[in-house]
Amino acid sequence: MHSVLIIDDSEINLTLIKALVQKLGGCDPVLFADPLRALEWCKDNVPDLVIVDYMMPVMDGLQFITAFRALHGRNEIPLLMVTASDQKDVRYDALIGGANDFLNKPIDRAEFSARTRNMLSLRTAQKHLANRAVHLEAEVAARTADIRDREKELIFRISRAAEFRDPETGAHIQRMAHYSQIIARNLGLDERQQRLILEAAPMHDVGKIGIPDGILLKAGKLTTDEFEIMKKHARLGYELLAGSRSEIISAGAEIALTHHEKYDGTGYPNQVAGSAIPIFGRIVSVADVFDALTSERPYKKAWSLEDAVAFLEDGRGKRFDPLCVDAFLAGWDEVVEKRQRFQDVVVPLL
Amino acid sequence: MLAYSLNRPVILERLGDDEEILAMMIDMYLQDVDNNCSALDSALAAEDASGLLREVHTVKGLLATFADEDGAAMAFALESRLKEGDMRDAEAAIAELQARMSEIAVVLQGEIGG
Repeated sequence: MHSVLIIDDSEINLTLIKALVQKLGGCDPVLFADPLRALEWCKDNVPDLVIVDYMMPVMDGLQFITAFRALHGRNEIPLLMVTASDQKDVRYDALIGGANDFLNKPIDRAEFSARTRNMLSLRTAQKHLANRAVHLEAEVAARTADIRDREKELIFRISRAAEFRDPETGAHIQRMAHYSQIIARNLGLDERQQRLILEAAPMHDVGKIGIPDGILLKAGKLTTDEFEIMKKHARLGYELLAGSRSEIISAGAEIALTHHEKYDGTGYPNQVAGSAIPIFGRIVSVADVFDALTSERPYKKAWSLEDAVAFLEDGRGKRFDPLCVDAFLAGWDEVVEKRQRFQDVVVPLL
Repeated sequence: MLAYSLNRPVILERLGDDEEILAMMIDMYLQDVDNNCSALDSALAAEDASGLLREVHTVKGLLATFADEDGAAMAFALESRLKEGDMRDAEAAIAELQARMSEIAVVLQGEIGG
């Protein structure tokens, strides 16, 4: 049903135009004798066609068109102005001012029907295009979400691939990623960054794929030489992930490279210190170490939470960024909750 | 100016041969004619040139709607003078217009058998 707004101070014209609009079929006429009241109505309603008389008190048709077109989203609505055939100058002004076409007075039904139908066809086409644009926008959003989901899945699978060769478990990855998110939030990073670190942190040890089994799976303490090889996993992970167009994978590359750096510059692989270590690296360092300490491994028992917290506090300003330690401890209740939620159980293969 | 007679075929052609709309228009004309005449008087008495111009324009439209070409031409001539700011003879012209409207009202009344 097309909504057709009719504005004319003459009741007889209003009635005539209304009758003709109703005869068109599929139209719902809305009548106003006062253009100011019509304009008020237009603020909350969008007509499909406007038919406005020229000569009216208080506000003439040209002024109405200007005010109507100035309303948000009313620029394209078809508009017909009713004028006497002798008002050529008015017609020019109306065309410049935004009228789409004219209706001659006295109104002729054949002309009226043809012109209003043309205008309503135009409106139908406009709506069709707008609907299509909305549809396409939704489609693009859905496809983008789909691609992002696949990207996440791929990242998870890459992280799991490293896991298969690593005694660390899927639950470790989940826990340290959530701890990282808690720290990011308590540091005041925005939600987008919080989500990014949650999604990217699981890739921190992906470089272990390149470490020989004899070293990676060794139950005892590594020799100095073996540890030097083990340390290569940071750079290997970076090389595996760096240069991606994906924001998540790029963040994963940065985390892989920097999560073993220490705040005092004694870490590896680049011995960078303080704020020269990217914030994601400083965050993941706290999250990863805390979870490693509090988890049981083939070569060690799990530390108590108290001992692990003492280790973090002792490492403030040395191994760890003190602000990251504070942010971690500020979220303690949530840390405990995540630790309970992601227990070390056998994670089913994908 | 010739006496007004209702040119039914011309009007009906414009209305797409819709008798129903014509009957409605006649009815509305008869309802509004007194108001239209008194609006002309009021604007004239108030020496409201723009108001008078608007009322004369409305009457011109009404006369044209009922296919009164002579009456519409008379209204158009007055409208043109008023646009120029010429109020001379406006009173006489208004009286003439009002007489024409009343004449049409009588004819239309006859049409509907009242």
